[in-house]
Amino acid sequence: MSGGLDLEQRYRRVLRLLPGYYRDEWEEDMVAAFLDSWLTGDPDEDSVTMEFDRPSWPEVASVAGLAARLYLGGAGTPRRYFAWGQAVRGAVLAVLLVHAAAGLDGLVPVLLPGNHDRIVPAPPATIAASPGSLWPSTVWYLAGYVWIVVFVALVLGHYRAARVIAVLAIVPALVWLLQGQLTGSLLSPFGSWAFWFLLDLAPVLAMAAFHRDAPPPARRPWLLALPAYYLLVSVPLLAAELTGHFAWRPDTPGLCCILVAVLCLAHVPRAWSSRAGTGVWSLTLVLLAAVAGTYRIVSLGDYVQDPHLIFYLQGPHLIAVGLAELLILAAATALVAPDAARTQAAMPSPPPHPQLG
Amino acid sequence: MTGQAFFVLTALADGPRHGYGIVGEVAELSQGRVQLKIGSLYGVLDRLTADGLIEPDREEAHDGRLRRYFRLTRDGRRALAAEAELRAATARVVRARLGLTGAEAAG
Repeated sequence: MSGGLDLEQRYRRVLRLLPGYYRDEWEEDMVAAFLDSWLTGDPDEDSVTMEFDRPSWPEVASVAGLAARLYLGGAGTPRRYFAWGQAVRGAVLAVLLVHAAAGLDGLVPVLLPGNHDRIVPAPPATIAASPGSLWPSTVWYLAGYVWIVVFVALVLGHYRAARVIAVLAIVPALVWLLQGQLTGSLLSPFGSWAFWFLLDLAPVLAMAAFHRDAPPPARRPWLLALPAYYLLVSVPLLAAELTGHFAWRPDTPGLCCILVAVLCLAHVPRAWSSRAGTGVWSLTLVLLAAVAGTYRIVSLGDYVQDPHLIFYLQGPHLIAVGLAELLILAAATALVAPDAARTQAAMPSPPPHPQLG
Repeated sequence: MTGQAFFVLTALADGPRHGYGIVGEVAELSQGRVQLKIGSLYGVLDRLTADGLIEPDREEAHDGRLRRYFRLTRDGRRALAAEAELRAATARVVRARLGLTGAEAAG
């Protein structure tokens, strides 16, 4: 027998991707339907099929897609999976909000009066300094603007459009990274790659959580969050730069850590008052903290290689600053983590499935 | 209603079917355009069951395995009829705008 397993066992292995409650309900039925699609009734032929064939990749992909929808649950799924689904959806929207605000950074100067002659502002130093870049700076600004469209589309419920546009939005950065990696021109390879994987690719993949069964995002708060974030975070940072206080501005991973830490602290009163562990937001913040913390840790690799690297601060204190940011993030996250644990560990209650009748 | 859900409900319109029976019927109804994978099928069946449009009918043993049959509920029949009418009305509008007669549209 090939690998000691037959076709049925191989398919049951694939079905382990599905949550336990779902397998209890549907596994035998799925196995029967799957084998019906393979077996012909001819004993010799079926014996060969059972021994040597294995589930096709499209078949495996269909089970994986079903598993993603169930684990990142919507209406009708057990509370635990619903909580995870809501947390992932919240985390995706939060990351896209930051991307969209960065897009506004480029867009607002274009829209200001007296700027009719220039389509886009001058490229930032990091991009302008890239020798022989494949993309003109316009591409970067357009990619930035596109995140605004992705964010708004997702909030308004146009999930498929948001996914397609988001995939297009992360391509220029990937090409730039690959080009920089191959030519050795990346100034901060650890941070740049970590940014792409954690803040570009991961949210795009996690947009799978926005499926038909998922409750739609709360439009008004999320749409208001974009200008609020721009005014409360982007504008002060820009003002700090323009007034020469560049050293006060944390680098991007540091900014992520600080923002998530502030959100955790702001959420503490609610998290501590919630005995029933209903705080999906706590779980969202823990997810965001994991992303920000990982980003911070990986990007420290750039400073280890060259502690004096960076445009923002002088001196060998960058690693110490990064570690302090991590410490602050960890302490703030610890305050909401118990509530998050209660939320995701809540006893699952199977969805109502009618019995045979 | 998604295309897959529409075809699954249509496959159950003339009587209960089991999982693979639905896959075969959907392929035939769609003239081979819709080839449901088992994971996709049970995603649709699960959703339609939760929405009350289909329900389990019976289980039958076949080659030592139990096959679960599904049937349309009254709500499912109503939803399918409404969707069919909507699609037919849309098709009529499209044919009218293209200036097609029934024979031309068929040909």
